[in-house]
Amino acid sequence: MNKDHRNIALFTAPLLFFILLFVLLPVLGTLYTSFFRDVSFMEREFVGAGNYLRLLRDSRFLKSLLFTLVFALLSVGFEMILGMGAALVLNETFPGRGLIRGIALIPWAIPAVVGARIWQLIYRFDYGLANILAMRFFGEKVNWLGTPSGALFSLVAADVWRTTPFVAIILLAGLQAVPGETHEQGKIDGAGLFQRFLYITLPAVRPVLIVALLFRTIDALRVFDIVYIMTGGGPSGTTTPVSLYGYGYFLMGDFGYGSAVSISLFLIAFILSLVFLKTGRFREAAL
Amino acid sequence: MKEKVLKRLLLIFGICFFLLFFLTPFLWMVAVSFSSSPNLAVRGGFRFTMENYSNILGNKNLHFPDYLKNSLIVSSLSSIISAIIGGMCAYVISRFRFRGRTILILSVLALSMFPQICIVGYLFKIMSSASWINTYRALFFPYVAFSLPLALWILLGYFSQIPGEIDEAALVDGATRWQTFFKVIVPITLPGFLSAFLLLFMFAFNEFLFALMLTVDHRARTVPVGIALFQGLHGEIPWGNIMASSVLSCLPLVLIAVAAQRYVIRGLTGGALK
Repeated sequence: MNKDHRNIALFTAPLLFFILLFVLLPVLGTLYTSFFRDVSFMEREFVGAGNYLRLLRDSRFLKSLLFTLVFALLSVGFEMILGMGAALVLNETFPGRGLIRGIALIPWAIPAVVGARIWQLIYRFDYGLANILAMRFFGEKVNWLGTPSGALFSLVAADVWRTTPFVAIILLAGLQAVPGETHEQGKIDGAGLFQRFLYITLPAVRPVLIVALLFRTIDALRVFDIVYIMTGGGPSGTTTPVSLYGYGYFLMGDFGYGSAVSISLFLIAFILSLVFLKTGRFREAAL
Repeated sequence: MKEKVLKRLLLIFGICFFLLFFLTPFLWMVAVSFSSSPNLAVRGGFRFTMENYSNILGNKNLHFPDYLKNSLIVSSLSSIISAIIGGMCAYVISRFRFRGRTILILSVLALSMFPQICIVGYLFKIMSSASWINTYRALFFPYVAFSLPLALWILLGYFSQIPGEIDEAALVDGATRWQTFFKVIVPITLPGFLSAFLLLFMFAFNEFLFALMLTVDHRARTVPVGIALFQGLHGEIPWGNIMASSVLSCLPLVLIAVAAQRYVIRGLTGGALK
């Protein structure tokens, strides 16, 4: 028995060492710092909830919070729809399926920074692909990254391109677990293609759908790299997600307020995850 | 019969749509990287050249080979270590029911949900006071730590499929747990370790925020940061160079995605479903 305990300690110690020191400690440090006025080259001063009260009155923070929520809602929504479509396609048998599955992974596998650079070039006003197409079909160019709504749309499209493969692969695993007999039974009972999707496929992949939804929402809320590159938060701060807003304060050396911004982002992600898990389970019980 | 035709049409439409959607931006990058001008809109805008590649590989001031070297070293080291450490922990979790087992799994997973921005500010302070800024260490330790939940998750799925009798046999023969793990269990779960390694490598190679904040110049800066901060001499964005470095940095990842898609997909879904 004792030997077992020693083994458990021995095998888990390295993981605990890394996680405690390089994840938990910084998180607690950020939480601690958020209660101070902590600016480089200035005396540190305890301000209690001061930074958090300032957040509530900070209109630029509230705007960036609103942008983050809208961005997450739009991009996760489109990713779910397109990801489901891609998963349904990849679940069929056709020649070259393995290759196409590999190709479908590419947008997700390459660095987000590279993806963002590609889309930045595509959205260029003078010779980007988006405006070549816009000229051909509508006869006029669009200022994709220079207007608030254009920038929001462009960022969402770039994010959807990058993460649809991830959603598709997760949903594909769910689809493969649906037994073929249920579909045959549905056919015999006279259910059409779309009815079978709605009443057989969709309920069967619901648990996986919720997992994908949860992962993607958490990830979309902390969006940073594509915005940093494509718009830098502009035009005039309209596309600044909370991560970038907090990063701006760290960059200026204001660690106290930057920490409060970061912790608030975690709290929002945490509350949303709880809501998802609760509603997911609630519906499962109702079925 | 009508339904079969409809289904086939939908399938063909779907394949074409997704191929276009996924591949067009990627091919645009490749085209610009081989073009002397990024302006492909005008007739004759594309003229084939290798200049962008010879520039980023040959021009010492751009430091692209340094970024690539840094990225490859940090990513491979951190993902190998993370797979081993995560595997060790996943192994005892799958073999023993000890107190705090569930709490351990749940809290490790919960920690991975923290936005990176909640960590990077204080991490910067820690690394500054240790004088680790702009070293491999500054990236290696956080990368291992941040990817461990994923490693644990993937490998837990693999180990729980291996029956405990295999361990018992080795233990009866007088092997220690340590030997049993490294000499018996690791060899039979090698595909799992490969899946984990590939995904962890992708994660580390693509990471941006930590590298942006914790490195300063070519001695430790990684490829994503290099590509993000590429600047022309006169403020104009050097698209040709950016796209050529993008293509080169995508090569290992695209190879992994296309050649080893089975392992990548298995790693992803084993982690998400179990």
